[in-house]
Amino acid sequence: MAKVIGIVNLHTTTSFDGLTERRPSASVSFLGRYALIDFVLSNMSNSNIDSVGVLIQEKPRSLFKHLGGGDSWNFNSKAGGISFLYNEKYANNKKYNHDLNNLEENIHIIESVNAKYVVIAPAHILTTMNYDDMITAHEKTGARITVAYQHINNGGETFIGAQTLKVEDGIIKSFAANKGVNNECDVSLETYVINKDALCDIIRDAKKASSFFKLKDALAYYASEKKINAYEYRGYARYVDSLENYYKVSLEFLNLDISSAVFKSNWPIYTLTNDTPPAKYLKDASVKKSFIANGALINGTVENSIIGRDVEIGTGAIVKNSIIFTGAKIAEGAVVVNTIMDKRSQVKIQKDLIGDPQTPLYVKEGDVV
Amino acid sequence: MGKEIVAMILAGGRGTRLKALTASVAKPAVHFGGKYRIIDFPLSNCANSGIDVVGVLTQYESVLLGTYVGAGTKWGLDGKQSTAAVLPARERGGVGATWYAGTADAIYQNIGFLDEHSPEYVLILSGDHIYKMDYDKMLEAHKQKGADCTIAVLNVSLKEASRFGIMNTNPDGTVYEFDEKPEKPKSTLASMGIYIYTYQELRKYLIEDAKDEKSAHDFGMNIIPNMLADNKKLYAYEFDGYWKDVGTVESLWEANMDLLEDRELDLYNIKKDWKIYTEDTLAQPQYVGEDAQISNSIINQGCMIEGTVTGSILFGGVSVGKGAIVEDSVLMPGVLVEEGSVIRKAIIDEGVVITENSKINEDAGEVVLVSNNEG
Repeated sequence: MAKVIGIVNLHTTTSFDGLTERRPSASVSFLGRYALIDFVLSNMSNSNIDSVGVLIQEKPRSLFKHLGGGDSWNFNSKAGGISFLYNEKYANNKKYNHDLNNLEENIHIIESVNAKYVVIAPAHILTTMNYDDMITAHEKTGARITVAYQHINNGGETFIGAQTLKVEDGIIKSFAANKGVNNECDVSLETYVINKDALCDIIRDAKKASSFFKLKDALAYYASEKKINAYEYRGYARYVDSLENYYKVSLEFLNLDISSAVFKSNWPIYTLTNDTPPAKYLKDASVKKSFIANGALINGTVENSIIGRDVEIGTGAIVKNSIIFTGAKIAEGAVVVNTIMDKRSQVKIQKDLIGDPQTPLYVKEGDVV
Repeated sequence: MGKEIVAMILAGGRGTRLKALTASVAKPAVHFGGKYRIIDFPLSNCANSGIDVVGVLTQYESVLLGTYVGAGTKWGLDGKQSTAAVLPARERGGVGATWYAGTADAIYQNIGFLDEHSPEYVLILSGDHIYKMDYDKMLEAHKQKGADCTIAVLNVSLKEASRFGIMNTNPDGTVYEFDEKPEKPKSTLASMGIYIYTYQELRKYLIEDAKDEKSAHDFGMNIIPNMLADNKKLYAYEFDGYWKDVGTVESLWEANMDLLEDRELDLYNIKKDWKIYTEDTLAQPQYVGEDAQISNSIINQGCMIEGTVTGSILFGGVSVGKGAIVEDSVLMPGVLVEEGSVIRKAIIDEGVVITENSKINEDAGEVVLVSNNEG
């Protein structure tokens, strides 16, 4: 296989309200054990990509802590590794703080590795895509740019705001935005295989059209003049761009048909280890249809929920349809329904937290209520 | 500059009384507590005590242990100034191929490794004990007393004392006599098999012992009595906490059950200061199904529970089917319990499949071991 550089593109407009106040969506906890970025990193690792750059838009602290030297995802071979790509110059200038400027600022990552292709993928679109297959398809067509897409039949509900594309004979004719009008549509997964030299051309030329052009704007701009190949991906894909979608996509995993499509034995999802002991269920525990992470101490009732690492659920407490993050504590007798409790938050005094089934109640990191 | 202290973990034993559980792994590699292997405890204790050069002496089924210990990364022992070295019995220059004849001989055969690090003190540990202990406090006591050897002891009941090596001590804590499994114990201070020696003293005694053809080359039987005969300063260091030597299937089961009942061994690190590090398996969080009932149990990631689990310890990747009942049992990694089965008071070894509607120890008599291996 040709040498490939993986680029995780964290330049995005996704926001999960309070959850992304202090961290990028990429490092938001997922299923009690993972961070969202683990999916794209594991896909790269499983696709035998060992040189990876992470384009960081903002709030890097939690990312540095999670990613470290990248050895959790097998990127620590001497030949590869993980690089943090950050554009200090434009950190406080929203319009200029985009992926193409970041790539230009950190062009050495692309120049220094003797690779033919660059795979670029976001963290907020969850897939279990094998980029190796996509590269094979890319090579066959002789295109310099390939964009992965998925055909969906519920465009009125999902991928709202995502890029749609119009494909003719495997070639992308134009891009638009999903306004939620059509259920049947082809949506871009913002996942690209681009020949290294073609990417360098785009980085150099895009600003001649507009200095505010992001990569996806540039691709839309060039769609009429350059040959952009379309690659259809039929596997698991979810667009996680808001708190509501994050909540929905998370709880959807409690349906085993969905989670078993993601957790396949030949496609491990790697994450950072925390040396947490196994979960402990005490005498009064009653748990149904839930994911429970290690280190949890449970003595209450948990239903249809995701319980993170080191969470404590007191005697007689009831937790339903909720996502409880690492280290949160729920006092004896509390009732927590349709709620997301961020890291180390505590329910102590106000023991009735009932959120809306569509828009969950959110308790901020470290807050006590 | 030499290291102040180097730890040597004796991990070569099979542990025959664990039967099929050690058919293909050494006792220190036996699974414990839903996630760990027994050797994680001494290794984590070393890491948490600030000891960063650790030799792991292996003999029986050394490959798995060697791979598991590796460069010590799991315990953070892989820094530039730290070493986790697996030291199997081996062919050595000028000597030829030898096995470790006893605990003292195992250390003697690795004098070269110790000399290389030229420590002031050597900590000798067993790889098959379950406990949390700050060896640094023991080292402080050793230095303060100016001892040649400090032996960690546990105050056991008089009834139990006959099962242990007993240290008879003077009021100032010096040891005047060592009694191996005495019929009529004079003291209840049982040796935990944890020693700190001033290295140069130990070195002399190991070399002398190696020349003695009648010696069993054992710390308890030879080195300690020899030092006592020479009026060396041996001190007992009393340890107050949970400690268990899991020699049998029954005691391994008990130690697992202790995790459910006994807060003395705090795996949950309530005090936030003494984690036990171990291998992290690739697994999703455990999934608990709609009909599951779980109480008083410890369950690791990667499990899939759809039946009833009470009073049990489940390792990673265990699956309990609908209508199955698991009570007071230990299910090792990857055990599959099919629908409608009943398991009571048992240890089910790694990878065993309990087929539909099977009954294992249904009347909960003595602890039962089910394994794919022959005992």
